[in-house]
Amino acid sequence: MSQLFVVGISWRTAPVAVREKLAFREEELATTLQAMTKTLPVAEALLISTCNRVEIYGVGHAGQDPTGEVRRFIAEQRGLAPAEVSDVLYDHTGPAAIRHVFRVASALDSLVLGEAQILGQLKEAYGVAGDAGTSGPVLGRCLERAFGVAKRVRTETAIARGAANVSTVAVDLAARVFNLAGKTVLVVGAGKMSTLAARHLRTQGATHIVVTNRSPQKAERLAEEIDGIAKPWEELEKLLAEADVVISSTGAREPILTRALFKKVTKARRFRPIVVVDIAVPRDAEPAISDFEGVYLFDIDNLEKVVAANLADRAKAAEQAGKIVEHEAGQFEHWMRSQGVVPTIKALREKFAQVADLEVQKTLDALARKEHTPAQQREAIQRLVQLVVNKLLHAPTTALRAAPPDEAALRAEVLCDLFGLAPDENSRESAPGLPESVPESEAEPPRETT
Amino acid sequence: MSDARAVDQVAETVRMLSVAPSPAFWVAVIAYTAASAALLFVLAGHQRFRALAIGLVAVAFVAHGVDIGWRGTQHVHPAQSVREAIGFLAFIITGGYLLASTRYRLTLGGVVVMPVSLVLLLAARLTPAGDGLEDLSSLGRIHISLATIGVGVFALASALSAIYLVEERALRKKQFDALAFKDKGAPLESLDKLAHRLIWVGFPIFTVALVLGAVWVSKLGESLDRLEYPLAGVTWVSYAILLVMRQVYGWRGRRAAKLTLTGFVAALAVLMIYLVRRMVA
Repeated sequence: MSQLFVVGISWRTAPVAVREKLAFREEELATTLQAMTKTLPVAEALLISTCNRVEIYGVGHAGQDPTGEVRRFIAEQRGLAPAEVSDVLYDHTGPAAIRHVFRVASALDSLVLGEAQILGQLKEAYGVAGDAGTSGPVLGRCLERAFGVAKRVRTETAIARGAANVSTVAVDLAARVFNLAGKTVLVVGAGKMSTLAARHLRTQGATHIVVTNRSPQKAERLAEEIDGIAKPWEELEKLLAEADVVISSTGAREPILTRALFKKVTKARRFRPIVVVDIAVPRDAEPAISDFEGVYLFDIDNLEKVVAANLADRAKAAEQAGKIVEHEAGQFEHWMRSQGVVPTIKALREKFAQVADLEVQKTLDALARKEHTPAQQREAIQRLVQLVVNKLLHAPTTALRAAPPDEAALRAEVLCDLFGLAPDENSRESAPGLPESVPESEAEPPRETT
Repeated sequence: MSDARAVDQVAETVRMLSVAPSPAFWVAVIAYTAASAALLFVLAGHQRFRALAIGLVAVAFVAHGVDIGWRGTQHVHPAQSVREAIGFLAFIITGGYLLASTRYRLTLGGVVVMPVSLVLLLAARLTPAGDGLEDLSSLGRIHISLATIGVGVFALASALSAIYLVEERALRKKQFDALAFKDKGAPLESLDKLAHRLIWVGFPIFTVALVLGAVWVSKLGESLDRLEYPLAGVTWVSYAILLVMRQVYGWRGRRAAKLTLTGFVAALAVLMIYLVRRMVA
């Protein structure tokens, strides 16, 4: 039976210096996948390459474990000797592989527990594999289920609740003070964090983004980048009076948002609430400004503290999420195993139907040829049933008798199990209903041989 | 001997309760208790109890309404006495909360409001009735009805103000692990605005009630030197000042919330004095 496998590297096993050597560019994915399915005993394959992981999910040809070859393949693709990466690559097969895929999709294997990106990246990778023609029924079912599990985990546990980075926390805190729809954001100075926070605020409904900087050119550039309006530094007081959220991250050595300035600002604002997020070090805002009514000041330590608390909550939720994944993986495994017997069941049914059809047809033909008395007809039906039973049982019976002694016991046991038999120990010598007689030696009682 | 006395006591209690509580009353009591517990669970982070909690509030509200209606069929008007009015007040508070919680997440508010409604309902039904007000004029009834509705609206505004103060404090003091902070409820500004609107609604109603009350008292020829009258005045003046300051000087937030609570505490004191007076009488 073909089995799912995972071969890969992630932040858990290797630093970025190693991961970057194994990373694949987006445009390489399809060709790599096709090369793999062509040259290796791999029937289905998917390749995900993000900043935190490079992994191949696949299904080997029936009865083969291709993980060794896939490991070598990855190394060769990146121009490395397989021995170089053998320590940092990991692999899983069967149930462990299913579990791994489910955990990755649910962001339980992510650096930031519960982050939302990985699911999108996985969906993308699945799309690429589909386009490259390397995804198949097993991988498809597994990933579809993985997406379902991820959704379940996100809705049923707190894993994705609570912002996990400073800029989203800033937005969350602002959202506790007011509804962000239609609000004005003032970005003071130009830091990467403030850009991110301003973008987040916009997605939450903030309509005006104003940028100010000591250097007008920098202000212009940032304003263009985040679709805001640049305003001169000299207008700071007026801008503060109009803004609802202030994100400050200048490189100034001295505080800019001083108590004296805010005394004027709060008066002009008529105590309208204002959220000041100060992510600069050294700080831009004097702590004393939060004494004014309606001024909510958060510095970088406050934000980090919230992030830490949220991450701790996520870690707690991860336990519950792990249980969901465990349960779902078990079910999927069960489905996979049942998929293995489906063709057998189909063949068995077909064969039985064929035998029955043939014999029924023969009997019907014989009955049609001439007149029969009811007694003869009854006899013909009885004979028909007998014949069908004999024919169906012929092959298994012969196989059972012909089996080598140690295997015969097992086969007999399986048969008893399948048909719910309780063999009568006294009658084991005879085989009623079977016309063919079998030499005594082959009719060894199976149990005594073991 | 002691048995006979116990029976007598029960009979006396039943007489004092005027009309025995309806089955709906007990349903309401259970639903209020369960809703309080469920809201606590939600506040503790079990979000899946949210729908159940709001459902229980709705059950409590309906059962409470049915109980008031049932008393109506027994000729007990909700504005017949202060005791009945308190039961009606709790009904208004629950209804207002139910309405507001369809728009905002007010878990913390529910944890405050539901037990308050329960206590008011229990006080209104299980305290001794004393003797009924004799020949209650329609003027008196209108006064009691309007005062009840007004105080009910103020109660909702006060609940919002109380939540505002608790949440604002947690945010200001950076108590990010405080229980008030865990529940991602309505933003401070929304709480403030909603409370403001409620006071706009309650104030005219309460004003009319106050005027009618004064007319009623003077008609009865009673003097105005009882403690509850200046207290009711405190409520009215608090809200009058609040509305002016908000409108003219842009008052909002903490100061407004504190004044809202001051006015309500005075109104609550008036109700309690009435209740105790009737019981003693």
